[in-house]
Amino acid sequence: MVNTHALSGIRIADFSWVGAGSFTTKLLADHGADVIKIESSHKVDGLRLAPPFSGGEPGHNRSGYFADRNSSKRSITVNLKSAEGREVARSLIRASDVVVNNFTPGVMDRFGLGWADVRQFKPDIVYLAMSMQGATGPSSAELGYGMTIGALVGLQHLTGLADDEPVGTGTNYPDHIPNPGHAAFAVLAALRHRRRTGEGQYIDLAQTEPTIALLGTALLQAETTGIDPVRNGNHHARHAPHNVYPCTGDDEWVALAVTDDRQWEALADLLGIERRPEWTHETGRKAAEQDLDTAIRDRTIHWEAEQLAERARAAGVAAGKVNNARDLLADPQLAHRDHWIRLRHPEMGSTVYSAPAFRLSKTPGELSRPAPCLGQHTQEVCESVLHLTPEETQRLRDSGALT
Amino acid sequence: MTTDAGALDGLTVLDLSDARGNYCGKLFAELGADVVLVEPRGGNALRHRGPFANGVSQMDGSLSFIARNNSKRSLGLDIGARQGREVLRELASRADLVIESSMPGTLDAAGIGYRDLAAVNPRLVMVSITPFGQTGPLADLDAPDLVCMALGGLLYLGGYVQGDPMCAPEEQAYAAASVFGAVGGMIATLHAETTGTGQHVDVSIQESVALATENAVQFFDLEGRIRRRTGGTQKQAGMGVFPCRDGFVLVMAAGIGGNRFWPNLLKWLHEEGCADAERLSGPEWSGHGYTDTDEARQVFAEVFEPFAAQRGKQELNDEAQRFRVPLAPVNAPSDVLSSPQLAHRQYFQPLFLGSAAPLRMPGAPYQLSVTPWRCTRRAPGLGEHTDEVLRQAGYGPSQVRALRDAEVVW
Repeated sequence: MVNTHALSGIRIADFSWVGAGSFTTKLLADHGADVIKIESSHKVDGLRLAPPFSGGEPGHNRSGYFADRNSSKRSITVNLKSAEGREVARSLIRASDVVVNNFTPGVMDRFGLGWADVRQFKPDIVYLAMSMQGATGPSSAELGYGMTIGALVGLQHLTGLADDEPVGTGTNYPDHIPNPGHAAFAVLAALRHRRRTGEGQYIDLAQTEPTIALLGTALLQAETTGIDPVRNGNHHARHAPHNVYPCTGDDEWVALAVTDDRQWEALADLLGIERRPEWTHETGRKAAEQDLDTAIRDRTIHWEAEQLAERARAAGVAAGKVNNARDLLADPQLAHRDHWIRLRHPEMGSTVYSAPAFRLSKTPGELSRPAPCLGQHTQEVCESVLHLTPEETQRLRDSGALT
Repeated sequence: MTTDAGALDGLTVLDLSDARGNYCGKLFAELGADVVLVEPRGGNALRHRGPFANGVSQMDGSLSFIARNNSKRSLGLDIGARQGREVLRELASRADLVIESSMPGTLDAAGIGYRDLAAVNPRLVMVSITPFGQTGPLADLDAPDLVCMALGGLLYLGGYVQGDPMCAPEEQAYAAASVFGAVGGMIATLHAETTGTGQHVDVSIQESVALATENAVQFFDLEGRIRRRTGGTQKQAGMGVFPCRDGFVLVMAAGIGGNRFWPNLLKWLHEEGCADAERLSGPEWSGHGYTDTDEARQVFAEVFEPFAAQRGKQELNDEAQRFRVPLAPVNAPSDVLSSPQLAHRQYFQPLFLGSAAPLRMPGAPYQLSVTPWRCTRRAPGLGEHTDEVLRQAGYGPSQVRALRDAEVVW
């Protein structure tokens, strides 16, 4: 039997929303975990309200941002403010292996669904709570998003030009890489421990801490020297040239990273930059970095970015166009890896989703379904997971527990 | 209820990688796996990269090396030599996971690629972290972090609205691939432990970066619009970086879920006696549309900047949070090191280097109640555990001596 889904048989009761939580469970859903999103139609997941929308037209089931982060999942609407709704949630947890939420600490407890409650009726659950700053502590009640987290932890400060405002990545970076990656890894490790011992556990992931872990050098540097490292544009501590350079067209750039003297000769020849003895060696180029950048810019501005990147690579210099979204969708390497997947969604039509960054040779996983419409699988989950009759499900609908 | 157990106890990992994958191995090591860093002659390349700690030999003092290689053991091994490859095959026959980041085909050519190692150990998982993946038109391009960031599309989104794209610090492209490599490696390891069948996990750094481009590709796909950089300006009115008395704050009062925080912002500004707060009220501020105009940005700046100029970044954070407005100080690393919240969580761990006072280094990225994260040892010296690792693999003292004499191990 070919089983393409390494995580089939794992069920996740997913109370998470917005960025980091949804991407965490997507990583698992795309490899076969049965992820059931427990949603509210009163307080809708903020990503459902976030652009872009299919055809530019807003709607709870039309956000491309939400869709991409929620492939391969099912959605059930449950009113956690009703006692019956909370009982539905508890039944779902009983039928699950993992609970995920990224609320402010205390929210799940108020619903009777905190770790202390859940372990009473489901002791072997792996319970992931990914609040912004952790379950306890003086700042635990604060709210934030990926971008404010980036500011809080130093990422923003370290990105940009030294004499200009710090710019950061322009995105909610912690939501996309550090938090979902670390969270999914921790859940998988906890599932291994449970398989070996039968024990569940509580995972408290503060959404600040994984990003700080990825800035370890800067923090250790501040520790050892007592001086904060300064943002340094695109420059490298040792190599030069190492930067982006403008090309012909609107906002088109090429990234060039020269890492030895021979590469510099090749690049200088390609661009027609006169040999200067003081630029022969890396230390000399690094010392004259501004002049070097200016000389290169004066040449690249006459080149098409893609053409220059290809010629530079052919000459042995690492180079790449600074890809925008259109370029990414047309990128031959990403196409070769089938990174962009088109799925047909009942309201959005055929739209683009991203595949995971890794390919498993024997259990590659797949985006098994498009993002769910709000509450799309309420009936199905009530009947096939909770084993309710259609009549019982209808009664819960009538009483407002499933909204 | 905390035990001494690690979630990954019993897993043996060989880390043949470098800057591209060393953090991946660290993730395994600090949840309990036995991770052996296999180092080439002269040591892992990160050992030679500054900045360096004071008071220890340069080989052991690279802060970049330490930040990615704590909790591992080190084996110096020449996999370029025939005998070295035999040793590697022997170690791989006992391992659960190999992490490597050489260019595609390199290990295959040496007879120690995934197929070769799987032949001696069918349950072995190999994670290969390369710039573009194992195959495809760019597979052979040995790209530094900056080029991966460019081709992965994140570079385009970071930077100044009228200026250059700006790269994130500390090789975040490599970091992204290390983190996703750990997820893929862990999925494959769980599968191998239950089925007895390992597999090859092919990680693309470019693809890892592309996942950080947020909704940019969907914007183009659905609305035909190319998302651009917004640094140095407000992305929309009420969302951006603003100067304050002692630095900068990042404000996200707008742009979330139909501007659900806007009323909180108004309440805050009113209660703090911000005279001009009235200018931000009215139905036009409740969603996209007006708030995307330059006029709205201008109005917001005229109201908020004088208000912020009188306050410090932490003070603004505390006030905004009291009114439930997403705002954060733009902290430098030293601010992060002195965070009361991180102190409460005992996030920073002592790092003992030489005789100097311990340094604070980042600790647990997650707190597991039963199988806690643990830094088990400082980053190893080159070949510090060579004898021990070989002995555990069944090599006798004379065999180890012969390997040392032949300079196959060190």
